[in-house]
Amino acid sequence: MALLEIRDITSGYGEVQILWGTSIALEDGKLTSLVGANGAGKTTTMRTVMGQIKPWAGSVWFDGQDISSLSAHAKAEMGVVLVPEGRQLFTDMSVEENLEMGASPKRARSHIPKNLELVYEMFPRLKERRAQKAGTMSGGEQQMLAVARGIMANPIVLMIDELSLGLAPVLVLDLFQSLKLLKDQGLTMMLVEQNVQMALAVSDYAFVLAHGKVELEGPSRELAKNEHVRSAYLGL
Amino acid sequence: MQISFDLIIASLIDGLLLGFVYGIAAMGLTLIWGVMNVINLAHGPIIALGMFSLYFIFDLFGLNPYVALLLVAILGLLLGVLIYFVAVHRVIDAPHLSTLLATFSINMIIIGLGTAAFSASPRNVDFSLGSLSLGPVTLLGTRLVAAVLAVAVTGGLYLFLYRTRPGRYIRAVANNRDAAELMGVPSAQILALSFGLGTMLAAIAGGLIATFFPFTILAGGVYELKSFVIGVLGGLGNPVGALLGGLILGMLEGIIPAFMPTTWVPVLEFLLFVLILLVRPQGLFGARK
Repeated sequence: MALLEIRDITSGYGEVQILWGTSIALEDGKLTSLVGANGAGKTTTMRTVMGQIKPWAGSVWFDGQDISSLSAHAKAEMGVVLVPEGRQLFTDMSVEENLEMGASPKRARSHIPKNLELVYEMFPRLKERRAQKAGTMSGGEQQMLAVARGIMANPIVLMIDELSLGLAPVLVLDLFQSLKLLKDQGLTMMLVEQNVQMALAVSDYAFVLAHGKVELEGPSRELAKNEHVRSAYLGL
Repeated sequence: MQISFDLIIASLIDGLLLGFVYGIAAMGLTLIWGVMNVINLAHGPIIALGMFSLYFIFDLFGLNPYVALLLVAILGLLLGVLIYFVAVHRVIDAPHLSTLLATFSINMIIIGLGTAAFSASPRNVDFSLGSLSLGPVTLLGTRLVAAVLAVAVTGGLYLFLYRTRPGRYIRAVANNRDAAELMGVPSAQILALSFGLGTMLAAIAGGLIATFFPFTILAGGVYELKSFVIGVLGGLGNPVGALLGGLILGMLEGIIPAFMPTTWVPVLEFLLFVLILLVRPQGLFGARK
């Protein structure tokens, strides 16, 4: 059974419908990716999963429980954690305070020392800059902090929206490497990516979203060979 | 008119002491603005309720006014949380006009009920701590205690915001509400707490002012206006700026009547308000955004 499942979700903003029956399932311990062009509805899917937008229809299930009506903070408390698009750091706070904020859920508090060690090991730069205000760091460092803050929440499912956006390719590679490290520790993850090639290269399974619907799904390795995916998303 | 140096010093210090209390009032207004971008137009009536609460606790139960102030603070906090959930929460994401109207209706409700319950005749907290004479300067005991309490309240607020978990949550929600929510922070409760702290500061200011001057249910209005001036002076959303702004305004009020009729005080205060908005809209102590 899937650990996190989105069943036939429709949602949008005001009168504008963005999602037209999206269904996605995340298997326990796997790295899944959700890819698609700009405007396909990836971020809307994430916002709906977290409850920042109420789904018009359909449901969200976590560990066999219907969590569709829960607010974002209640979901974070359960271990469903989103690293949002655009980092959304606490720019006025120090790096360390951002990490402490990540560990707000009750279930994360007793794991603070262990998780802090983990994120400082993954991103030594953050340790060097721990007293610096988050808003004054470079884009790459801010993205590291956003991921690190998500890890501090001691997630059961970690979803990362647009990890690679606006970052230099070398940095992106570094960040993807650190995700593999987390996967090896058994964390269930979802990558929401415009960078289809990179996402398919690191993930186990992938969903291709187009016009608010899942157009294709399958093991990432197979999708990378798919003719349609190659021509529409990889430019091959 | 002969202006004596002693008189100026005495007025300045008198105004300065009053300024500490103005600072507390303004801090309440600016805290709410800083956390949730809501201008609380019920600020004045809540200051007035602080005055009346202190008066009744003192008068009916004979408690020392400073013990009563503790109860006034708690009542102010609870009232703010109630106002938040009844009137503000449903319009928190709506345009500013909606939150202005919501808090203005709370203003009208409190004034209406207050006038019916307490009438319009002035009340007075019959309490004195004597005075302290230092050369030409005579300091009223109640003013001195109020200033000391104002500093303690400011310090307490800072410790709360920077040293406790709820305080950190308030700063996080002020900085980025969506992100705080994603990190497991129940943002509605934190907003309610922030609103409650803002009204608590207003009620404390009211309670302290009640130990200086007689008052009616309408007495809070003038302090609400002062709070706006101070908030802009110190930089909206900046608690220490509010205290410093309060001190500046208090000193101006002390010193202006030495040179011209008292009726000029509000004229000059609002001239200052407009000037600050034109020249340095982020306030004297606010960071440039």
